[in-house]
Amino acid sequence: MAINPHFHHSDQQLKEELMVIEAAKLDPEQFGTLYEKYYKQIFNYVYQRMDSKDAAFDITGQVFLKAMTNLQKYEYKGVPFASWLYRIAHNEVMQLFRTQKNKRAINCDISDLRFICEEQETPFFEEYIPVVKKLIQELNQDDLHMVEMRFFEKRPFKEIADILDITEVNAKVRMYRIIEKLKKSISKIHV
Amino acid sequence: MSLKFNIDRPKVKDEEIKNQQDFKSLVDKFKQQSLKKAQGDESWWTNKIVRYSTVIAGITVICTITYFSLFNNQQTTKIKHEEKTTLSPLTKSNSQSTKTKFVQAPSSTLRRPYSTYTVNNAKGGKIIHPTASKISIPKNSFVDKNGKSIIGDVTIEYKEFHDVGDVIAEGIPMSYDSAGKKYSLETAGMFDIRGYQNGEPVYIAPNKNLNVELASANDANRFHQYYLDTNARNWNYLKHDVPVRIKKGEKEEAANLKKLQALQLEIEKVIPQKIDSVGIVYSHKAEKLPRAKEPVKPAKPSAGRPNFKLDGSYEEFPELAAFTNVLFEVGLENKNYSNDLHEITWSDVKISQGPVKGVNYVLSLSYRNRHEKLIVYPVLTGTEFDQARERYNAKFEIYRALVEKRTADEKHLMDEMAAKQAVYLAEQRRKQDEFEKEKAKLAESSNAVALNELSSNFNAMSIQVKAQRIFTVSKFGIFNSDCPHSLPEGKTVRPVFVLNEKDKPLQPDFIYMVDHAKKTVYTLDKQTGYSMVYDPNQQYSICIFKNNKLFICSKAMFKESAETDSNKFFVSPVLQGSDNLIDFKKALEI
Repeated sequence: MAINPHFHHSDQQLKEELMVIEAAKLDPEQFGTLYEKYYKQIFNYVYQRMDSKDAAFDITGQVFLKAMTNLQKYEYKGVPFASWLYRIAHNEVMQLFRTQKNKRAINCDISDLRFICEEQETPFFEEYIPVVKKLIQELNQDDLHMVEMRFFEKRPFKEIADILDITEVNAKVRMYRIIEKLKKSISKIHV
Repeated sequence: MSLKFNIDRPKVKDEEIKNQQDFKSLVDKFKQQSLKKAQGDESWWTNKIVRYSTVIAGITVICTITYFSLFNNQQTTKIKHEEKTTLSPLTKSNSQSTKTKFVQAPSSTLRRPYSTYTVNNAKGGKIIHPTASKISIPKNSFVDKNGKSIIGDVTIEYKEFHDVGDVIAEGIPMSYDSAGKKYSLETAGMFDIRGYQNGEPVYIAPNKNLNVELASANDANRFHQYYLDTNARNWNYLKHDVPVRIKKGEKEEAANLKKLQALQLEIEKVIPQKIDSVGIVYSHKAEKLPRAKEPVKPAKPSAGRPNFKLDGSYEEFPELAAFTNVLFEVGLENKNYSNDLHEITWSDVKISQGPVKGVNYVLSLSYRNRHEKLIVYPVLTGTEFDQARERYNAKFEIYRALVEKRTADEKHLMDEMAAKQAVYLAEQRRKQDEFEKEKAKLAESSNAVALNELSSNFNAMSIQVKAQRIFTVSKFGIFNSDCPHSLPEGKTVRPVFVLNEKDKPLQPDFIYMVDHAKKTVYTLDKQTGYSMVYDPNQQYSICIFKNNKLFICSKAMFKESAETDSNKFFVSPVLQGSDNLIDFKKALEI
């Protein structure tokens, strides 16, 4: 998986970002730098899980408002600020699905489904799409979140771990278990 | 939580995302929120001056609001009413209440359900109904009752009516009052369209229109478009309806072309993709077969080649650790070698992994400022060589067996892959033949296309689509392409319906008279005193509903009764026809 240059930061970049965060705690106008830097990432993350573009823009706005409001509570953990924003975004999206009965959407490309199949040594044909879709739809929310981040958003394990606030090894173990689960089902699809 | 799966959804452009960024408004919201939070703070409230001032201000506000609401109550009600009217009247509840009075189906079992479609308001879309009618919905066409743009999906309910059978089944009134003169409408196609989100009605935005291309079995140019105003209980004239005639054979040609395209896709994309995919999977499998590592053959020193003997241990290199008298022969590739290297007592000598792991090494020699690097090869002499040779022979046997197994496994996998690919190749050839045949057929049919009649079995009847009727829909409801006909003139009777001579007359709930010449239907109701006017020279039939049961007075029976100069009309029950629209239409002889 390619490294996301917008997420990965050198120590120096992390330090600089922390300075911006501290400044924003004192002066909300300083938050603009973080807003500019992460707006697109957060929107894409939200829209990946939603059907409506307009609703995704609304939620993205909510995420940043919440981040500004709770910035005083933010604690630096040596990872990019984005991971905190992703966690807020995830909570906001899930909250929306719970309260407004909006449809949770799964968005992916055919190439992603092909990749999932071929990872399991099963050739992928377009007629398998409904079966693969069903397998993914049957995953529980946590597993689906992992699959989305790993296969559909192509995030490296380090980034997934930071977003979920777990260790990289833990993220790999969880992904391995999901893959094993998928493998069993996908292997039933005949070559 | 329900899940919707979107595949290959277009990505949102960076420019659009950028346009949505509005940090200023975010800061404003944040400030407002902070202010509210501060106002909710207890320390603020405990301030006596502020507390008393707030209480007084609150009382003043309540008094002011009460005063104005009392004196302006009438005006407010009026404004509210006007707002409702602007927002298109068809709410689910009020449509139901008006339907019971104005649009009332005579039988609950004859009515066909609505077809439902989902459209994302932000994206809009195009709906193709099974009758080939098309509904085009521009982006952001729908608003809620407050005029706010709908976010998310909207459910469109859509139903079409094409003949008097459909009209009776739905209970749609077909009389039309134009400046006090009564007409009966003949339809060339009618539809009912409405929209909902989560069960709540939505409305068409004031500046938006849906476009409905209604498939019609009638291509005559004498029809007009009307909208059914259920509040005014009349049809509203919209405009003259100009039919867009469909070319003969266009539909078959399109279907054949579609089939050809599907075959082409199979041949050129889908099957090659399957073949590739099988190839990828088997290559992965072959890659994963265990690979044997060839042991390194021990060598004796070559005649005339210089070598070095080193002191020290080779723990780092297990392949050398077992030997005590290893010599390192200088490789031919060392162009920097000269005999004088042997003359120097080197102060530092290091051996490290060479370019070919396990085969050669890099010998680094240092003395003061002089540093040399040589590629060297380990060589053995005497009994150590013999021991190494024996070990090599044993290892090589294992290696050879492993290589043979891998070769066999690889061949097995490749055979399996070739067999699977052969199946797809055969399928590809078969489809190619089919493609050629279809192509020839299409070319042939294109020449004869003018002779073929366009046929489409839609609306549960064998009706040919002859034209499209284009409607601009600015509000939900029932739209009709109609031709008004004058009411029949001739005999007026108050009919009595009987099953036979002996039975008592039926007391129908609904009575409809079908005029077969004009293709219209007249509803006989209380308002007209159930009286019926007909032209004795024309063909009519009557259907009546009593307790959800259908009775028909066929064309022949009607003619017979009419000729007797009596008001008694014989009807017969349609036992299995009151819940099936096709049978109902057959019984009605339309």
